[in-house]
Amino acid sequence: MKLMYELPDADRKAYEAAVGPDEKLLYCVPFNILDDKFVEGYMAFTNKKIYKLEGGRLLEVFDLSHATAFWTEVMYGICGFYAKIDGTSKLLCNFVSGRHLPRYSVLVKAMEILTQKHIEEPITNDTPEQFCQKCGRPYVHNTTICPYCMDRLAVYKKLWGMTKGLRLMMFFPFIVSAFGVIFSIVVPWLQAIAVDKYIKPTGEVVGSLTGNRMTGFIVIVVTFVSIDLFQRALGVMQARFSAVAGNKFTLVLKTLLYEKLQSLSLASIQRRTAGDLMGRVNHDTAEMQSFITGTLPSLFIQVATFLIVLVVLLIINPLICAFVFAPLPITVFAVRKVWEVVQRRNRKAWILNTRTSYLLHDILNGIRIVKCFGTEEREISRFKDSSVLSSNQNESNAKLFDTIFPLLGFLIQFGHFLISYYGNLLVFKGEMGLGTLSQISSYASMIYGPMLWITHIPRTISAFLTSASKVFEILEETPEVSDIGLPIDIQIEGEINVKNITFGYQSYNPVLENVSVKINPGEMIGIVGHSGSGKTTFINLILRLYDVNEGAIEIDGVNIKDISQAALRSQMGVVLQETFLFSGTIRDNIAYSKPYATDEEIIRAARIANAHDFIMNLPLGYNTMVGEKGYSLSGGERQRIAIARAIIHNPRILILDEATASLDTETEKLIQDALNKLVQNRTTLAIAHRLSTLRNADKLMVLERGKLVEFGTHQELLAKKGVYYRLVMAQRKLAQG
Amino acid sequence: MADEKKKNGVADENGKTKENADGDGKVAASATKTETKEDKNPSEKKEKKDILDELIDEGDLILKDRRESVPLTPENAKFAKSKGGLISLTLKHEDGTEEYFERVIVLRAFPITNPDEFISVREPDTKEKGKGQEIGMIRRLADFDEVTVRLINEELSRRYFTPEIKKIYSVKDKFGYSYWDSETTAGRVTFILNNPFSNIRVMEDGRIFINDIDGNTFEIPDPKKLDPASYRKIEIYL
Repeated sequence: MKLMYELPDADRKAYEAAVGPDEKLLYCVPFNILDDKFVEGYMAFTNKKIYKLEGGRLLEVFDLSHATAFWTEVMYGICGFYAKIDGTSKLLCNFVSGRHLPRYSVLVKAMEILTQKHIEEPITNDTPEQFCQKCGRPYVHNTTICPYCMDRLAVYKKLWGMTKGLRLMMFFPFIVSAFGVIFSIVVPWLQAIAVDKYIKPTGEVVGSLTGNRMTGFIVIVVTFVSIDLFQRALGVMQARFSAVAGNKFTLVLKTLLYEKLQSLSLASIQRRTAGDLMGRVNHDTAEMQSFITGTLPSLFIQVATFLIVLVVLLIINPLICAFVFAPLPITVFAVRKVWEVVQRRNRKAWILNTRTSYLLHDILNGIRIVKCFGTEEREISRFKDSSVLSSNQNESNAKLFDTIFPLLGFLIQFGHFLISYYGNLLVFKGEMGLGTLSQISSYASMIYGPMLWITHIPRTISAFLTSASKVFEILEETPEVSDIGLPIDIQIEGEINVKNITFGYQSYNPVLENVSVKINPGEMIGIVGHSGSGKTTFINLILRLYDVNEGAIEIDGVNIKDISQAALRSQMGVVLQETFLFSGTIRDNIAYSKPYATDEEIIRAARIANAHDFIMNLPLGYNTMVGEKGYSLSGGERQRIAIARAIIHNPRILILDEATASLDTETEKLIQDALNKLVQNRTTLAIAHRLSTLRNADKLMVLERGKLVEFGTHQELLAKKGVYYRLVMAQRKLAQG
Repeated sequence: MADEKKKNGVADENGKTKENADGDGKVAASATKTETKEDKNPSEKKEKKDILDELIDEGDLILKDRRESVPLTPENAKFAKSKGGLISLTLKHEDGTEEYFERVIVLRAFPITNPDEFISVREPDTKEKGKGQEIGMIRRLADFDEVTVRLINEELSRRYFTPEIKKIYSVKDKFGYSYWDSETTAGRVTFILNNPFSNIRVMEDGRIFINDIDGNTFEIPDPKKLDPASYRKIEIYL
């Protein structure tokens, strides 16, 4: 992250005039709001003072020796950088959040280091910038690709890279098209010969086809027929190869994309909706396929035809050629104008369509709530409104496009009328044969084909580029959590040593701060704290769904960053509050973490989880289908299957995230019992709101606002009469109503 | 700082009032102190795991740090400009004691639909203390004298920085982002929208709010009043 900006000349002069001889510039960052205006100002931080500069003026100087605290405040559309100076809070500057909040958050830390620890070395921060350093526009999320500065060639190059192994097949359509182009040039030429030489030879009597002329004519007719047959045969082959190549390509792409999605961290997946990701895997890859197998060969054909015909026409008659091209400038201009409109309208239609399908997705997911609150009518009308909007947009787009494109067509055809006029004059004068005129006429329509087609191509290309960049965006996203070069596969014993970790989902906004805790193998640790205190974040870090910002988590003395994710996850078991069962049989669901588990193992796991009995009472036992289309299980039953799933691979470390919340007492007892069996000899981390479920815990971690405030046994913590004590009291009260 | 948070009579009396830790002001009345004391379970087990039963009478400890939000009126609340240029508050409690806040934060409960009423006055949200608690709420800002209204409005307009768009010079779409160049009450700005269709919000009353990628918010109070060229540029998004 850039913390030392270059001061503009005027500001630098003002700064240099004010700065003392023993001061050293440490940081210089921009601020961009002053009073109620956008400005371009800078805050220059030296080891003694802060200078606020704008437009060549020194606005204010803050003396660091009087400052006791620094902080940022996020407001609406604006952020503030504050300090406590001489015991009174003061606003130092305002800035827009997106670009500078992370920067100022780092500065808050930097100022603390400077004013409290008196370390006068500037700190650095390696959080990547989110904006293009060249043009200031945003990068594609989580990448350092600037769509503006990116050269489009790169997209095509990447595509090319992905076609390995398919190239020959993909190249074939081009060969076929090349033949096609040649034939389409040759056919009108043969026709011209046929007409001028045989059918209506200049100056000769019509109707006498004998001798050599007859032979010549037959040769030409046969040529026509064989060319046509050959072309059709090639066409069939082309279609077949295209289909194969296209589908193979899509397959490769989809697989790559899906693999990538699986390798990405939870954080980057959760940022996007399931619908969006599904769209990218299905829709955007299909878009790319149609471009590669359809658009690209056509583009080649059209361009080739255009160029060859152009040359041929120039040879035949340059003047006529000029007539053909007369409407070109106007057309190009019109196409450019139309392009913008088309693009924007298509985008709008696309967004309205996806909005409708999101809505549908959303409502179907929440159908229970809808039914419970009896809001079906409202949801119907909401969906209807959205559909109407989307259909209106599609309709108006179609209307507009269907009007504009024929109009453009007319513009282009206009040249045709000119040729007919001029060509007929020449024929009347006898300066040109009828066949040649018809040849020119054919060529003219051949040249208009590509030109008309080019008016469509912007739409296709832009759709393709959008799809391609969306796909590449995923493919190129660097997983936030990734294995180091040579990850270690260890056999986990179960000791967890959390060393002074700090973590925030945004690095400048820590959710956990300086948490240190040592957990011995086999211990059961209860994690308690108010919601938002960082409990779930803590276990997410132990599971390494995210990487810590500072500090380290060690398992058996090895940093978890050095342990391969496969080894780590395979030795951890997780039971969450919300149990997700995949569509499939109960057996599949239990064996999810160990696909080759034997039937015996599965039954044993189910028994430990107290799930065996209810499973046996289901119609198909362990082969009963559950999930979306299957048998519906109660919350407690699902929970026990989840416990069985956690048991089956005999994890060394077990994580229970409110595994027994919101269950009735009896089910809870069953599950509690299952869990008690489960936690034997395993390091267990359990989050629970109901403190009574943690009574078997060896030790308790009490988190408050991201800090570990208490750690110890029940008795120790109660004796302390601190946070834990108060939590216990509060629950007691609730229980008594 | 510490003595600023000293507890006052009012809060002690209503010590049992639970306030949501998130500060959303949810207030649930609960039993009074005396009742809770008598609640003590006579048949308490001496099993050490059921510690819950042993310590029951001191249950109100948990609410020690919670302050209760009071309605702020010109009578009990005196706002003034602090030395640092921010807002300070002297709050007079019912028992006549005064509490002084070197700095308070003002927030709107309904910034868009009702900006001048229901203004929450809070302690600063400092790291050490976690989320700043609500000191009280101003029902209607207009009840206060002119100087106070100006002071608070100044701070509010700084906290809710929403320049109005006067004229739109150009809107260009590229790669899913939309690049805008426009004249606003805060000067000419170029800004970028990530997906204009979801970041342009049209209110029921016709106002338009635009959120850009940097976290800026712009408002168009009445799109119909824009010049025709500007209107055409945003029309497609509405």
